[in-house]
Amino acid sequence: MVRIVMCAITFALLSTHLQAADQEAGKNLYLNNCAQCHGPTAKGMASFPSLAGRDASYLKSRLETYRAGERVGANSGLMIPNARNLSDEDITNLSGFISQNFK
Amino acid sequence: MKKSSYIRYVGVVTASSVLLSLPMSLQAQPPQISQTVFMDGLENPWDMAFLSDGTMFFTEKCKGLSVRLPDGTVNNLLGMGGTDGYSMTADDLFCKGQAGMNGVALDPNFDSSRTVFVYSASRMGDDPATNRVLRLTVSDDFSSVSNRTDIVENIPYKQAPTDHPFGDAGAHNGGRIRFNPGDGFLYVTTGDNHNSSLPQFGDNLGSKVLRIDRDGKAAPMNADALPDGFDARTFTYGHRNVQGISFHPQTHQPIIAEHGPWHTDEVNALVPGGNSGWDPRPNMAGRGDCPDNYCGYEPNQNEGMDPEERRKYMPMTDYETYPDAMRPLWTNNNYSQGISSTAFLEGEQWGDWNGRLVVSFLGIGFGDTPVGQRINVIDLMPWGPTIMHNTEMPLPAGPARFRGLVMGPDGSLYTAVDEGQIHRFTAE
Repeated sequence: MVRIVMCAITFALLSTHLQAADQEAGKNLYLNNCAQCHGPTAKGMASFPSLAGRDASYLKSRLETYRAGERVGANSGLMIPNARNLSDEDITNLSGFISQNFK
Repeated sequence: MKKSSYIRYVGVVTASSVLLSLPMSLQAQPPQISQTVFMDGLENPWDMAFLSDGTMFFTEKCKGLSVRLPDGTVNNLLGMGGTDGYSMTADDLFCKGQAGMNGVALDPNFDSSRTVFVYSASRMGDDPATNRVLRLTVSDDFSSVSNRTDIVENIPYKQAPTDHPFGDAGAHNGGRIRFNPGDGFLYVTTGDNHNSSLPQFGDNLGSKVLRIDRDGKAAPMNADALPDGFDARTFTYGHRNVQGISFHPQTHQPIIAEHGPWHTDEVNALVPGGNSGWDPRPNMAGRGDCPDNYCGYEPNQNEGMDPEERRKYMPMTDYETYPDAMRPLWTNNNYSQGISSTAFLEGEQWGDWNGRLVVSFLGIGFGDTPVGQRINVIDLMPWGPTIMHNTEMPLPAGPARFRGLVMGPDGSLYTAVDEGQIHRFTAE
């Protein structure tokens, strides 16, 4: 029984993690909400950090942290309000687009 | 060597009028504008300075000072700590957050003096980091610099992160430097470091505009206009974070751009000894405690809210406390959108825009404020700082984080953009 539950949890986690990102939706979100600070190629500008080379799970985790209103890093004050209204789908699409296109 | 890109975009002006004070029949006819990518592949270019033949010195915030010769050759002159390929590397120079190598200015007598000035963050040994103004001699072939002399050593630098938006070390760092053709002195803009003990106090060089000579000494007339006890290098005080300065073409009055606190970016016309009225101290002017003793983003630093409500609580210019404070020329419709740099358009090719003030914006997406990446074109009265008309530069190649504005000797307007390029706006 324990084994079945564990398998189910693992499958659920993998399903969430592997949920296909909508690249076009992610691109639109990025260009309209992120590129002005992180740059058109996500390499970072001014005091805004580079996102290039970050994997999807890292980006997803950070966005979820900010969405929850939790502070992490010096730009939390900027990121928390920007992330507040993102849906799970938005975060998946954004994380997928950034990690796939900005190596 | 930097890769230059000459992708050409030509657009017909469709500038939208922001403030109209003339009937349509009398409105200035804007020129046709092209926007060209003049240099590409840079890292956070911050400022430029030109010689009459088109030679362009430029800074990159985390790399250092370079020069682009008219044939396109780029020579790397002064590198920050950890850089390679520069003729001189200075291990004390560093970048962090908004700080790094910022402004650059050429001695108006460059042909004989061969002197260039830069503003940079510096950490000497175990001492706290500061911002410095460095004077350097450029070799005859523009391949190297020598004779480093630090003419200002103690401009405050924010040492550690605080609980504020943009709260990292190096914040509110000022950094533009320009010679005034009217009086010949070097003007240096500084910032408040998220430190409320800087703006209204004259024992430090933060939150100020300095006026100094080529050796870093105070302009002799500064002291006459300053409150008692102020550092005599001070020209004006009570600023928040000044990143733009240029000089009125006729009067040579300094015109600055000053970042606002989630509201009210300002363009100010400076007068000697003037107070810009910024005072973000807690427990005064109706305020209580504030995060890390700095009220600069209060009353609600992490949430969007009506800029007018913000202004009432934490004014950019506090007239009630400082009734003689300089009154801004323009307050960007109460928005803060990352106002950065200023210049004056010069040349007949600009048509009715010849002599107009241009003001650049980085753009900030916060709350309900529009991001606002753009360059405003402002008509000031010929003999006085009064705004007659305010419109926007067309951007046929698109918006960017416009960081620095400089007129080139070819009559084009050049702008450093954080995306890693230098753009050229040409009127035709």
